[in-house]
Amino acid sequence: MLEKLIFQGLIGLSLSMYLWLLAAGLTLVFGVLGVLNFAHGSLFMLGAYATFTFYGKLGLNFWLSILLSLVSVGIIGAILERFFFRRIYEIDLPYQLILTFGFILIFDDLVKMLWGGVAMIPPLPNFFEGHFQIVGRSFPYYNLFIIFAGAAVALLLWLTLEKTWWGRMIRASASDREMANAIGINIPLLFTTVFVFSAMLAALGGALGTPVRVVAPGIGTAMIIQAFVITVIGGLGNLKGAFVGALIVGILTSFGILLFPIFEMFIAFVVMAVVLMVKPEGLFGK
Amino acid sequence: MAKNISRRKFLKNAVIGGAAIGTGLGSYQITYGQAKKPAGPIKIGGQGAISGAHADYGWQMMAGATLAIEEVNAKGGILGRKLELKFMDEELKPATAVKNARYLVTDWGADFLFGVDSSGSAMALGPVLAELNRLHFFCHAATHRLTEELVAQRGIPQIFRMVAPVYQDALAAWIFKDNPEIKRWAGINCDYEYGYVAWNLFKENIKKFRPDVEFVAAAWAPFWTMDFSSHISAVMAEKPDAIFATPWAGEGVMLLRQALMLGVFDKIHAWWQGMGGSVDLLEGISREIEGDKFKGKLWGTARYIHNFPVSPENKAFVDAFRKRWGKFPNYSAEASYSTIYAIKAGVEKAKSIDREKVGAALEGIELKTPAGVRLIRKEDHQAVYTVPAGRVIKSPDYTIPILGDLRVIPAKDYFRHPPFTPVAATK
Repeated sequence: MLEKLIFQGLIGLSLSMYLWLLAAGLTLVFGVLGVLNFAHGSLFMLGAYATFTFYGKLGLNFWLSILLSLVSVGIIGAILERFFFRRIYEIDLPYQLILTFGFILIFDDLVKMLWGGVAMIPPLPNFFEGHFQIVGRSFPYYNLFIIFAGAAVALLLWLTLEKTWWGRMIRASASDREMANAIGINIPLLFTTVFVFSAMLAALGGALGTPVRVVAPGIGTAMIIQAFVITVIGGLGNLKGAFVGALIVGILTSFGILLFPIFEMFIAFVVMAVVLMVKPEGLFGK
Repeated sequence: MAKNISRRKFLKNAVIGGAAIGTGLGSYQITYGQAKKPAGPIKIGGQGAISGAHADYGWQMMAGATLAIEEVNAKGGILGRKLELKFMDEELKPATAVKNARYLVTDWGADFLFGVDSSGSAMALGPVLAELNRLHFFCHAATHRLTEELVAQRGIPQIFRMVAPVYQDALAAWIFKDNPEIKRWAGINCDYEYGYVAWNLFKENIKKFRPDVEFVAAAWAPFWTMDFSSHISAVMAEKPDAIFATPWAGEGVMLLRQALMLGVFDKIHAWWQGMGGSVDLLEGISREIEGDKFKGKLWGTARYIHNFPVSPENKAFVDAFRKRWGKFPNYSAEASYSTIYAIKAGVEKAKSIDREKVGAALEGIELKTPAGVRLIRKEDHQAVYTVPAGRVIKSPDYTIPILGDLRVIPAKDYFRHPPFTPVAATK
């Protein structure tokens, strides 16, 4: 039984990392810009489509395709922030939701127009094929890679925010926007870069999934609900919370499928409900 | 809003066939002067999933119907009236399917309805059809309850099903009953009606042949599952000899790819992919088949496969479809193509488009269709025809993998027959 749990936990860990990549950007934008960006899932989807196009259609190198898709989605993010989101920072949350929800619909239709409604899966890069033995079971190299990629992003984010000047500026403007502005931080520019950065995180999640997951309109919406659950569990706007939340949701979902196959997703929502009752601001919320 | 825009945009493309036939104005002008002839075209409203991971099925349905309508119209239509098509997206959502059907009948004026991919949508739509009073030919939704409960028991005469129901998925029981090495079965199934019924029917049937088999694990995946590795890993923990799986379309491709990554095919004797003979799934795994990654252990069936039967009707259909659309027809295309010809046969026999007369004309009729002779069973309005199961292979004669090593079990053996005993539609 222990071996079953270890293996299932490792599978859950790789699932957590996809969720973390998505939740990280969502919570970052909320923490710094104060916008709950539901269209974040659409950026995830655009990352997947861009990688599919560069890698699956044009046959470019897999890593180059990921890089190009991050750049493309980053540019889209910059346009979104500069021309749309910037106008809604000061207004009420419900209006912000309407705008971001509108973008979900626009992007879903846009990909249908450009790529068609049919789901696509590009071939798996050869170097990801195969698996290794752990507790007597076969664990895919690809899932191992995802675990490391997720952990690396977490480390990089922590280093950036804690150890760099840019990170300090971000933290300063997250805690007091006016004061940060007063001491000479260029807030509009900072917000654009944070938004672009979070868009690229979403795109990375989408891009890394392309070889094994499907690319289709609507995948962003399917993922954003889970990412939202995660940020609520961890505390909205809190990166550490998003990481822990992703671990909880991914691993518990995986255990749920093994131990209570009739419920599965149910467990993540139960955790969210309990957190909301006991600590409504989230595990790491202020 | 965006939903409407996309639907409108799609429809513009989807009805190119129907609209190009240009029935609307043209035939009104002709028929105005001839008071005794019925006015206008016969309107046929369809719906299927045309967005998301399952979108190819709805597209195929639309393509098959369009092809048949073009053929029929080129030969003068039905009773001198041209056919007109409108096709909508059901989004695999029951509420959308009901809304579409109401729109098609009350606003657009459909005389006949067809299509629907999801069993959930079909079950929601069934009772509404009695009220809308139009014949509806289901071309994909597979739950047995549609015909067994809604037609045979509750007597909703508007429902017809042209496509093989979930009995087809349980064909695995006949295919693997003589494999003594396969004792421990595990299921990875869709977390809704279709998955429940397929798995329950399979269990019931294989137990009859093989009382010694065990069902060691079952995992359930809802629509929009993108990562099946937890499901695969959970059932593999019980060391099954074989796996029975029902996720279809893009989800089926992902499931099989992820199973390969987890080394499943080194450990099991066979993998039954219910709709493994579906064209989009075969295209999706063609690279893996060429590399023999499944080691010949992947089996499946479909509700029609383009390489069976070897008959002039089937060859003509496959050739015409490939010429028109540049792809191989999938089962939802064959079912919608045959639906148009069933409407033609029914209307011509009844000499009317009256719902009751056409319905009565179709009961017990035998139709020559690409999939073989379809018998429309009177009791449950289910089309009975045989579809074999086979091993997924690469054939030099085809550009994509096909089902080979075909095992043909007559439909009368593996279809359920009225009066029906209940099968659980629960996990």
